[in-house]
Amino acid sequence: MMNKVAFTMLSVLGIATVGRAQNINWRAFGTGPASTISVNAGLDYGVAFGVAYGRRVSSRVPIVLGADYSFPAGDKVTDDFKVRSGLQIEVVRAGPFSATVKAAGLFRRFENTQALLQNFGSEFAGVAGYYTRRWFVAGEVTFDKAIVTHVKHLKEATDLNPGLVSGWYIPTGGNLLTGVQTGVTLGRTDFTFKVGQAVSQDFRSRPLIPFYMQFSYGIRF
Amino acid sequence: MKLSMHLFATIAATAFGLSACDYDGYEPNDPARLVPRTVDEDQTLPSINVNGTQLHAETFGDPQNPILLVLHGGPGSDYRSLLNCKAFADRGYFVVFYDQRGSGLSQRHPKSFYTLKTHEDDVGAVIRYYRRSPAQKVFLLGHSWGGMLATAYVNSYPTVVNGLIIGEAGGFVWKDVEDYVSRSRDFGLLSEALNNATYVDQFFTGRMNQHQILDYKFALLTSSDGAKDSPVGNEWSLPFWRNGAVVFDALYNLGEKQQPDWTTNLAQFRVRVLFVYSQNNRAYGEAHARRVSGAFPNVQLERINDAGHDMLSFPRGFANFFPLALTYLNGLR
Repeated sequence: MMNKVAFTMLSVLGIATVGRAQNINWRAFGTGPASTISVNAGLDYGVAFGVAYGRRVSSRVPIVLGADYSFPAGDKVTDDFKVRSGLQIEVVRAGPFSATVKAAGLFRRFENTQALLQNFGSEFAGVAGYYTRRWFVAGEVTFDKAIVTHVKHLKEATDLNPGLVSGWYIPTGGNLLTGVQTGVTLGRTDFTFKVGQAVSQDFRSRPLIPFYMQFSYGIRF
Repeated sequence: MKLSMHLFATIAATAFGLSACDYDGYEPNDPARLVPRTVDEDQTLPSINVNGTQLHAETFGDPQNPILLVLHGGPGSDYRSLLNCKAFADRGYFVVFYDQRGSGLSQRHPKSFYTLKTHEDDVGAVIRYYRRSPAQKVFLLGHSWGGMLATAYVNSYPTVVNGLIIGEAGGFVWKDVEDYVSRSRDFGLLSEALNNATYVDQFFTGRMNQHQILDYKFALLTSSDGAKDSPVGNEWSLPFWRNGAVVFDALYNLGEKQQPDWTTNLAQFRVRVLFVYSQNNRAYGEAHARRVSGAFPNVQLERINDAGHDMLSFPRGFANFFPLALTYLNGLR
């Protein structure tokens, strides 16, 4: 079992060469500085804050590699967090219209008094919209898959129910997110905003916070 | 374009392959790994079969004594947090606990199986199961949702029970329930408790028939009630066996849809009711307690000091509650 779990983790990290990172205005990012860094805040399964880095790589096609780190609000900053890395590729360019695919691997951690959860997952997205050098608006569809989760039942839980089994659980879930993103570019500065809704992979149930939202401020250098 | 499509195809194929692999980690919906077994999965657990379901149930005391039937909260919680009430057995009462259908260690059912009326009927079925004679008195003790259920039963059958103790029932009309639930979930947008409740949605998702996954997520969520920033004022997290996510969802949805009113017949219940609320539950308070308890024609309203919502579950609250309840019961036996 462990070999397969290890394979999953390595594969997730492998495809995640680097970053889903941030929302990109492809027309503004197509020339000039090749790196961008941003800070963001919003709703991502809770109130969350994050920082992201992206770099356009030399290629015949527009490819951005990147990584981001985010954490939810709360007294304990380090007990819950998510790191994500991957790439995004502009696969269609037709005048101001653009379509992008994103792939990322991610690791996330959650801890409360009952359990410590550590998850390896993946995220795949498609973004299509209208882009100019000053602004853009696009629609996006993202599938956030929780592939394998290690559950460690903590003392409070095992004291109550000693038979609980800690270990790797596969598969553990997934959510589909659909929404829109928009942004304004001022010189080397980008302000972006995205908002959308989330539904579980059964297309019936929803997360407790059934929508997401993010404000982002980035600079290119 | 050709290169980008090739890259995308490679990534998509990798992703699809990962998702489709036949892994042999634990299956999260298997019994007894994330949540304990229920009575239909573990025959060693004490249970009774009534009204078409198997309920986890225990009794304490002399079966000939007046019955004190304890109804736990939730819906979906279990009676583990109310086991302090065993103390009434030493004072001359036959104390009966059961996990309501779909809750705790009782048998699970599909969501469509649950109705508010069936839960009410189960109360009557449990009373009939344990009652030795018509002369044996019956008292109900309902906490939170259990207090709502007890009141619903009394509203339907006002002559069956001889006394009623209620602790912080959300309400007996749906508007009061919604008001209380809304206040009790007001953790604060930036609180650890709120994010502990919501963040786990990206780790586990389950369909409505994947009870173990849903119950486990519900357990992680409800542990937020013990957080210091929770308005309900508990000292720490409640002891529990299993939180029934599906029955909670079913009954709450039915409440929203049917907008029940369990006060329509309470005027016929002339017996004095002991209604208690806690000092530390910021979401409840005296004003809400007066509004909710006012549905009874004859009520004794008492505040339990040094306690939060689950006042019967923690030492200080129960120490303050027990003498009041015992005096009340002894006055009616």
